[in-house]
Amino acid sequence: MDKKYWKFFDELKNPQKTKKLKQTEFSKETTSEFNVENLYGLSRRKFMALTAASLAFATTACKDYRDKGVIVPYNQKPENTLPGKANYYASTCTGCSNHCGLLIKTREGRPIKVDGNPEHPSNKGKICPIGQARILNLYHPERYKKYFAKRNNVWQEIDFAAFFSDFVLALNSAQQQGKEIAIISKPIYSPSFARILEDFQKKYPTAKIYTYEFLQPYPKDLAWENFYPGSEKFDYDLSQASLIVSFDSNFLATEGNFVQNIRSFVSNRNVNKLDNFNKFYAFESDLTLTGANADHRIPIHPNLHIPLLSSIINEILVKHEGKLLNKDLPLSLLKEKFSKFNLDALAKDNNLNYNLLQRLVYDLVQNQGKSAIITGDILPYDAHVLGFLLNEILNNSSNFKFKSKAIIAQSKLEDFLSLTNTIKNGNVGAVIVLSCNPVFHFPLDIGFKESLSKVPFVISLLESENETANYSTHIAPISHNFESWGDFFDGYSTYSLAQPVIEPIFSTYQMESIILYAVEGKMSNDNYHKYLMRYWEKEIYPKTNSAVAFEQFWFSVLHDGVLVLNESQLTKPKPDFSVVQKINIKSFEKTWTLSVRKPYFILDGEYLNNGWLLEIPHPISKVTWDNYIAISEKDANSLNLKTGDIVQIDYQNKFLEAPVFIIPGVAEHSLSIEAGFGRENAGIIGEKVGFNPMVLLSKGIEYNGYTLDNVKITKLHRTYKIASTVEHHSLNDTFLKDLHKSRGIIQEGTVEGFLKNKFEIHRHRDNISIIPEIKYTGVKWAMAIDLNKCIGCGACIASCNVENNVPVVGKDQVLRGREMHWIRIDTYFSGSPDNPEVSLQPMLCQHCDDAPCENVCPVVATNHSPDGLNQMVYNRCVGTRYCSNNCPYKVRRFNFYDFRNHFANGFFYRDTLKLLNNPEVTVRSRGVMEKCTFCIQRITEARHNALSEGRELKGSEVKTACQEACPAEAIIFGDMHDPNSEVSFWRNHKLGYYVFEELNIKPNVTYIAKLRNKKEEGLS
Amino acid sequence: MRKSQIDYILKIRLPITIFVVLVSYVIAFFVSRPERDGVGYSPNQPVAFSHKLHAGNMQIDCKYCHIGVDKGAFASVPSTDVCMNCHTIARKDKPEIIKLTQFYLDNKPIQWKRVHRLGDFAYFNHAVHVNKGIDCKYCHGEVEKMEKIQQVQRFTMGACLDCHRKPHEKMPELAGVVNKGPEFCGACHR
Repeated sequence: MDKKYWKFFDELKNPQKTKKLKQTEFSKETTSEFNVENLYGLSRRKFMALTAASLAFATTACKDYRDKGVIVPYNQKPENTLPGKANYYASTCTGCSNHCGLLIKTREGRPIKVDGNPEHPSNKGKICPIGQARILNLYHPERYKKYFAKRNNVWQEIDFAAFFSDFVLALNSAQQQGKEIAIISKPIYSPSFARILEDFQKKYPTAKIYTYEFLQPYPKDLAWENFYPGSEKFDYDLSQASLIVSFDSNFLATEGNFVQNIRSFVSNRNVNKLDNFNKFYAFESDLTLTGANADHRIPIHPNLHIPLLSSIINEILVKHEGKLLNKDLPLSLLKEKFSKFNLDALAKDNNLNYNLLQRLVYDLVQNQGKSAIITGDILPYDAHVLGFLLNEILNNSSNFKFKSKAIIAQSKLEDFLSLTNTIKNGNVGAVIVLSCNPVFHFPLDIGFKESLSKVPFVISLLESENETANYSTHIAPISHNFESWGDFFDGYSTYSLAQPVIEPIFSTYQMESIILYAVEGKMSNDNYHKYLMRYWEKEIYPKTNSAVAFEQFWFSVLHDGVLVLNESQLTKPKPDFSVVQKINIKSFEKTWTLSVRKPYFILDGEYLNNGWLLEIPHPISKVTWDNYIAISEKDANSLNLKTGDIVQIDYQNKFLEAPVFIIPGVAEHSLSIEAGFGRENAGIIGEKVGFNPMVLLSKGIEYNGYTLDNVKITKLHRTYKIASTVEHHSLNDTFLKDLHKSRGIIQEGTVEGFLKNKFEIHRHRDNISIIPEIKYTGVKWAMAIDLNKCIGCGACIASCNVENNVPVVGKDQVLRGREMHWIRIDTYFSGSPDNPEVSLQPMLCQHCDDAPCENVCPVVATNHSPDGLNQMVYNRCVGTRYCSNNCPYKVRRFNFYDFRNHFANGFFYRDTLKLLNNPEVTVRSRGVMEKCTFCIQRITEARHNALSEGRELKGSEVKTACQEACPAEAIIFGDMHDPNSEVSFWRNHKLGYYVFEELNIKPNVTYIAKLRNKKEEGLS
Repeated sequence: MRKSQIDYILKIRLPITIFVVLVSYVIAFFVSRPERDGVGYSPNQPVAFSHKLHAGNMQIDCKYCHIGVDKGAFASVPSTDVCMNCHTIARKDKPEIIKLTQFYLDNKPIQWKRVHRLGDFAYFNHAVHVNKGIDCKYCHGEVEKMEKIQQVQRFTMGACLDCHRKPHEKMPELAGVVNKGPEFCGACHR
């Protein structure tokens, strides 16, 4: 308990300096003078004059009745709609290859909130932060609205007919000259669209389809194909694994089907089932969210993964041969191959904890058939082969599960190389880009970008502006996911449907529709819809042997959004050990490396124009609106670098300039940066956001992955301002520090300690209070957050933003500490900065019974409701900010501006974005305080439903937005007075505690202390 | 000395005091007139619909047109096709019905003038009130006697709380049926 926790380096090194920061609510910048020019053009004097004038007019009362506007009902009301009642539609997310099922909430015909479809077997009602915030892109005012053609190097607006005649001309001329038509797309999972493309290829036989994914793990795919020849690709089913060992893998946040991974990972982190608590070792070079959730996190240099894996394999083969359950191993061959690797020596040479590695080997042998070895997508080929081999040695292939596979086989990097060559030889007549951005996504040395000028027709079907558009000759706007039809197949058993929930806002067509037009030669608004139904009637309906008519079947699938056919049985893949023989394991060299990683919130850079996503703080560094090069403290000191200093990275004569950010727990000589940032054409929001590491990549990624070896780092004498929220809203733990134990913001122990009753929560629950006790009867709302399950993914933040109309404030305001998020995730480090333990804690309004904010409000704008909510009444608030000043949790947010107006010249007041707001939540204006309301609009809706139906309100009827979004189900909400409710169970749990219990303000949020599955020193 | 003081009071202080009192009275009077809160507001509608005829003489249930009133927050103004349920046959030759039919055929939604309006910061729910048995008239007046719809009650927080605090005084027939209404902020403001 005496462990010292810190959030940022200054706090650790120079506690005196940060004392003030913690003790005050607002930092100096936060409350400093406004830039008056940014305010409304209304001075105080003018305002007074206007008020006086209006008062004068009012008193002389020239007109009694003001116009109250109009009510416009439907002419013909569609069935099943009622103004004020939300409708929900099942659909499918097309953001990435995981194709999660969606449930889209619409009000008065416009989508306002998206959550997962609980019926969908893959994501079971949960989606990632990107899926939550993608709705902003639907209403994005910068979406393409018109068709464009480049004529004589000038963009001209054309109509659809002109566009389409050019499109057909391009196809026909390419066809007649026998030139290739290259279709470039993201992986295609839609069976009906695959069929359309097939027909397209029949009509235009020179057409070829190329698909790719951003930072596609080419080496991993290659290693799988070689190691398990002829087998389907599988993933690990983490719910089956009691031991997980990862090597530079971020499987909880960016790799694979991470929403599913989170769910299966935390399913074995239940403090009520401690005998089935998984154990997770993470070896990684950068501190990722996945590593932050590990029981043992070991920072190692990226080049060390291969020797380490080899040494572990050798150790197991040599010392534990007799215990191995897998009897089909070519032991002598393997032994010989790995004989020169010694775990003992490796640990000694590289300063690793030998005892820990021994324990890992012991655990691996003990958990044969129940563990998962995960190698990260950024690693080179050899590491993946070794990872697969270790899995095979440990007999883990029974933990495999199906990995969804694209209908049209994914292209390899060499396919794109040959495409570029064909283009350069002048043998490509047309390039059709289907909603992707190859110019930005491919390594520059492929030469794809330059080659495009040789193609007479480059036709891009895009939602909004990107780099590829610049190199195109034609641009067609396409519909958003929520305006489109679609079907998706995971390759094995699950079909899902996407349906439009709103008429195309800008009268666009979906891309399938345009391609289908080219195939069929006739156009209508619903040609793809009809095609889709025909396809399903012919191909999928017969497979179900359904007794109902097709129409009924179709509407029932459309209603459910998903159709699961008989699950196919997984056949254990047969390994080819000769592949191991072929790899040449290099010895470890500690050179400077830079790993290029997938970003957390912007996918492939497509969402760089989404303010909500850019403003979610990075899970580790809390950086918003930027990317950076992560560097260890030691390296930074040796290079004399501070956070924000710009460095130049030189890799094979390719250069990148970017600022560094010192991150604790990063391995020495290892740098990392997230890709997807630094786009040139990303609209108002995305321009000048971050730095583009894609310029460093080369063809070598096919084998070496995304870890660039032998980079040179040079300090440039320039600095850059990075907007990190890490220092903002730091809780005050300085008070009484020397007199008393720490304030116990984070309380955590180990599984072992808890089982042996050595770990206990420090409680200070006194019943003495100067405030007269208020009796609560009836429902009383409370929340519990299980820190064992929370992995800090940020889905709650995104969901809260969408549900509660939380504005985007922009980088300049984040720098001043004025971000508006109602829920944040605090990251605390403890231990040495070289290898700290990470503790994550979602922090939101605690709805204290004796809330300190309520006592100080001079106008009673914040007070308590009889069901235990700390209410905030905006129309009463005059903006004194006393409440915020008095809140120990620092969760109140003040509208220093009307941020909707202030951000990017009134961006959020632009035409279509108004439709995005949740009509059940007030849009706050300048000068009022706001904070988490426990989703009072949802509570009220549930209460109204109960009242209308004449029954008692049950706590289980309400789900807050954060709870609904949480992929780990770490957030529990309900009625604490209901003894059978989940929340009252957790509130009285042995591990439950309140933050700042000793203040005796009786918060209504209970945190469940985190238990780590590790050995604790000093336990007998 | 003394005289001048009285002089001063009479000449200066008294007129100022009287002026201030008068002005305050006038302002208070004008501001607090029910008309200021919209009472008596009765705009002309695009189609001269008579509640007196439909709800009064013919006794059509409110819910026949205002379908949302017991289901959701909004009572909802009926869509034109509800009118056309009858008026494709009934009174087709009347000028107002011809106007109505034209709107319907042109697929042009009718822009009804809004009569009752709460502040945007207050969230009222019809269904909760109606399903408790509270009659429409307590807020909307005797609609069945109105040729042209008119606001008769104030739509202020004071008016809401009046009923919420003393429901039985206001609605004697509901004594024992409804309790007090909620008074906490979050019930209406969020």
